[in-house]
Amino acid sequence: MDIFWLTVYVLIWPVIVAGTLFVITRAFFREWKQARAEGRGLV
Amino acid sequence: MDLQNGEYQLLAGSVVLGLLVLFYGGTFVMTLFIGKKKENADGYMTAGNKIGFGVSAASMTATWIWAASMYASATSGYTYGISGPIHYGLWGALMILFIYPFGRRIRAVAPKAHTLAEVMYARHGRSSQLMLAGSNILGSVISLTSNFIAGGALIALLSPFSFRQGIIAVAAGILLYTLWSGFRASVLTDFAQVVAMLGAVVIIIPVVFFAAGGPGLFETGASNLTVQQANFFSSEAFLNQGAPYIAAVLAYAIGNQTIAQRLFAVREDLIKPTFITATIGYGATVIGFGMLGVIALYAGITPMDGDTNNLIPQMAVTYLGPVLLCVFFIMILGSLSSTADSDLAALSSIAMTDLYGQTVGKKNVKPKTMLLVGRITMILATAAGLFFASGQMNILDLLVFVGALWGALVFPVIASFYWKKVTNKAFTISTLVALALFLPVRFEWISMSGFTGYAVDVLGIVGVGVVLGLMTFGFFGLKVARIVGIVAVVVAAPFAMGALHEYSVLSGSLVAYAVSTVICYAMSVRSKQNFDFSTIKDRVGDFDPIETIKRDTDPVATSK
Repeated sequence: MDIFWLTVYVLIWPVIVAGTLFVITRAFFREWKQARAEGRGLV
Repeated sequence: MDLQNGEYQLLAGSVVLGLLVLFYGGTFVMTLFIGKKKENADGYMTAGNKIGFGVSAASMTATWIWAASMYASATSGYTYGISGPIHYGLWGALMILFIYPFGRRIRAVAPKAHTLAEVMYARHGRSSQLMLAGSNILGSVISLTSNFIAGGALIALLSPFSFRQGIIAVAAGILLYTLWSGFRASVLTDFAQVVAMLGAVVIIIPVVFFAAGGPGLFETGASNLTVQQANFFSSEAFLNQGAPYIAAVLAYAIGNQTIAQRLFAVREDLIKPTFITATIGYGATVIGFGMLGVIALYAGITPMDGDTNNLIPQMAVTYLGPVLLCVFFIMILGSLSSTADSDLAALSSIAMTDLYGQTVGKKNVKPKTMLLVGRITMILATAAGLFFASGQMNILDLLVFVGALWGALVFPVIASFYWKKVTNKAFTISTLVALALFLPVRFEWISMSGFTGYAVDVLGIVGVGVVLGLMTFGFFGLKVARIVGIVAVVVAAPFAMGALHEYSVLSGSLVAYAVSTVICYAMSVRSKQNFDFSTIKDRVGDFDPIETIKRDTDPVATSK
């Protein structure tokens, strides 16, 4: 593997983690909002 | 900064104390928002079986990432080079993915279950339930201890506090926020912990990479790698790290109550997106952390005291400033706390359901007493974890034994959810025989020369077929699974015959799979049992009276 691809290989994981974190956080706050609107607990 | 002489940056005692108060105080305050004066026993174990995607995906990700997985991935990167983290993190992530099709089946058969052992009791009887519950208890206590040790070691390394003070602070903090609301507290706080963990990963990995030299490091440090370490398709990494882990994929997923508990808690239609998101989240986080091991290898860093578990803290104190060191501290605290609180919730559910609930009988259960059993279990489990951790007992070795038991249980458990003919006798005998044969192979108690070696190879090859067949079965059904299993055996045989027994970790696991499958199949195929799966949902259900559940989950109804 050359240097460019090795760099991509190391740095791609934080990018995927950031994407996953965004998906989870957005879903969490949507559920929280919905639960509050319906007057029930989140869990 | 000379790490070998201990000249690394420490956090002041007041800073560490402040971070501990901030982290555990914050999580405790979170749980106050969901605390109920009158907790519900079913809610305490599964949060009413209808958790949404955001909470459950966060919880599954947070629970599966523990401090040990980060350390082990970095160790794999340091030991096996650039492919090392993949051979740790990818297969660990697939554990979550491969369990989901089976999870959907388990949930369809027993929608209101609390533990997998409880379902096994309804399917077979006491012995299969005890085997599953026993291995779950052992596994969770080991995990709890390991997380306490990781917390104590971190605090001792980064602050003026001792290891013992560290484990007490961590154990007390976790118990504080989990004790009252149980599983509900565990999943809610998992969200905050996953944000802390994943957020820290996003920042720390690039910072360490560029601080260590950035892309130029791959040029200057290339001479530090062996040919195998520099090869992305390293056979050494695959055979010593990847392959044993692939074999363990189904075992750890099937045997782990923390996963089963989330499976029973999430809304049934959200099982698939939850498990897929957790697979990606876990995989990227753990592989990403493994990159710190790869960077250390290129940078020529030697682990302190020769212990590769020190690599991650070493990298942190070498390359991170004080603020990011605090972020790192919170991240490790989050990873170990989220797993430890799940272990406490898992242990309490097993005690409530499989010990108390099954002993007195479902109709005689008193939810209030059941809750008390759960809370006492949490306190006792914390005390046990502290006891093992303070003596720094090497109980992690027991994990090999537990893993083997889970491996032996995989086929009997899965078959019990699909095949009407599987009997309790077949389940029990196949598991015990598989375990008995695993031990001498794994620990090399017998000579592998001559016939024994070939016999292990044959069983191992059958095991390869079983593992790949089961993985395929979950997604594509029996017909495709049979084809994949047979093709796997045919393809593996020429390479594995005469060589497989030399890899004791791998061959031990494969033998456990093969033996339990062959015996369970042989004992069941002629049985006259015709089990009706629809009876399970009648026998496994809520412990609380229906009225209580309705009142707790529907505030509008309560106000009327």
